[in-house]
Amino acid sequence: MTAATAADPDRAHQPGGSDQAKSTKRTTSAPRLRGLLPLVVLLSVWELVGSPGSPFFPPPSTWGSALIGLWENGALLAAVLATLTTFCIGLGTATVVGAVLGLVVGGSPGADRAMSPTFEFARAMPPAAMVPIATLLLGYDETMKVTVVTLAAIWAILLNTRAGVRRIDQTLLDAARSLQLGTVERIRKVIVPALLPAVFLGVRVAAPIAVVITLLVEILTHVEGVGALIAQSQRTFQPARVYALILVAGALSLLVNGVLGMVESHVFRYLPGKADGSE
Amino acid sequence: MKANEQPVAEQASAEDRPQPQPRNTFECRNLSVELRSSGGLACICRSIDFEVREGEFVSIMGRSGSGKTTLLRILGGLLSPTPGSTVRYYSEQVDGPPRGVITVFQNYAASLLPWRTVEKNVALGLEGKVSKDEKAERVAEALAMVSLSKRAKDYPWRLSGGMQQRVQLARALAMRPSVLLLDEPFGALDAMTKTTLQDELLHVYEQTGATVVFVTHDVDEALYLSDRVLILQGDPSTIGESVAVQCSRPRDQIETKQSEGFLTLRRKVYEAIMQGHD
Ligand SMILES: Nc1ncnc2c1ncn2[C@@H]1O[C@H](COP(=O)(O)OP(=O)(O)OP(=O)(O)O)[C@@H](O)[C@H]1O
Ligand SMILES: [Mg+2]
Repeated sequence: MTAATAADPDRAHQPGGSDQAKSTKRTTSAPRLRGLLPLVVLLSVWELVGSPGSPFFPPPSTWGSALIGLWENGALLAAVLATLTTFCIGLGTATVVGAVLGLVVGGSPGADRAMSPTFEFARAMPPAAMVPIATLLLGYDETMKVTVVTLAAIWAILLNTRAGVRRIDQTLLDAARSLQLGTVERIRKVIVPALLPAVFLGVRVAAPIAVVITLLVEILTHVEGVGALIAQSQRTFQPARVYALILVAGALSLLVNGVLGMVESHVFRYLPGKADGSE
Repeated sequence: MKANEQPVAEQASAEDRPQPQPRNTFECRNLSVELRSSGGLACICRSIDFEVREGEFVSIMGRSGSGKTTLLRILGGLLSPTPGSTVRYYSEQVDGPPRGVITVFQNYAASLLPWRTVEKNVALGLEGKVSKDEKAERVAEALAMVSLSKRAKDYPWRLSGGMQQRVQLARALAMRPSVLLLDEPFGALDAMTKTTLQDELLHVYEQTGATVVFVTHDVDEALYLSDRVLILQGDPSTIGESVAVQCSRPRDQIETKQSEGFLTLRRKVYEAIMQGHD
């Protein structure tokens, strides 16, 4: 949703200072539910107009029974777990590798010059285009899924970290040196904590991308997951299942966003504007 | 008997001051600095020569942009001068921050770690170097010196600008430094707090025998605190004037500042700064 602006590394900012972060935080549950109104209206109209036998637009009431069928034979739970596993490992790897690379590239102009063209090239490659290469090299398995997701999610994290490194005030580093902190201590006690908000902002931007790419890879390769189940339902002409699974995918995305939001407000409560003012 | 006592007596007096020939804490010879600017390298200071004696309190004055902060960063080992310059801390060439030399930065907000509470900020330089108990004791002592004991558990951004600057000062004092490099430490304070902290600083200075290099825009402050005031003039700047302040210590906010000697020096320093302006 806000990915477009936040992905721009030059405008990337700390979650604590960001207006968007604040406004999402202040949104209480009532307006958020009100935001679902168009969807509810659409589904109601669909329910009234659609016919249960339609091959394209089965009404929402049929989705539930389709979903219950999937749940009862265990396929749904297995698919959701597979998708979440790929998502978590992929995003986790992207976070670690992206943050380290961002730190290196942001901290050394030489490394930046040497690596930036490669990054730009790799970043411009659509993840869907990487799928055939990844299946060729790695086969149809979990490793392949994770690799594609990692490569798709890494850029937001890398670029945000790089921008974060450049924003660290020289005075902060000078103060640490003046207080006789060694290199390791400076990284551990000053640089890493100073970068955490930038890295986390990158993760917030990368997470929806990672969800989408996980589903995409599963749809394209039929390797186990919600995406594979969608593709399979579509091939076997079960439209109610397809719609039901799309809802599940949407719910997963909301869940991921909610969890990250909670982590953010917990971890960064020390930042100005994050805390509630009463301690 | 007397002969035996001699070395002991000498040591005791070395810890006091003044001695006939104190050592130089800092010695700068032919010091030039060039920094990158939009139009290539800009020369900030050229061929500066000065020394700071052990236990001396030296202030550096000069208009904004004359290179006071730059000079302090060089003494603190945070910036390298152009090749050919000599900067010594005792007998060693300065190459990185020397142990025991602590800088208090002009930009206090950027020098504190926003994710650490006040007391954890103050403890930063002590962690892993002294025992837990000693750390807690020194942090509490330093915070008491700057009257911030009550705010120990707060995050720095909840504090006013002047309070944040005092946290930075406490962080330096907790290190028990032998040299303090202070960059406009009282610039953000109201007159009352400023006088209190000036006296607190003089107290610490007289107690510990530390060497202090102090940057300020306030002529009265410079004269009140210092043994010597250096005035940067010109562009690139050099030391245009070095004014010795002979007012006796301990000093007194009212008496010292109204003494004849003080008023004469005040005029002299003002004139030197004005000279730099045209
Ligand atoms: N990091 C830097 N890179 C390049 N030039 C710098 C840098 N820091 C300062 N300068 C330049 O060096 C000159 C002296 O700056 P400095 O900060 O030492 O002045 P100052 O005497 O401390 O001024 P003030 O009283 O305003 O604090 C200025 O012209 C400034 O533009
Ligand atoms: Mg300055």
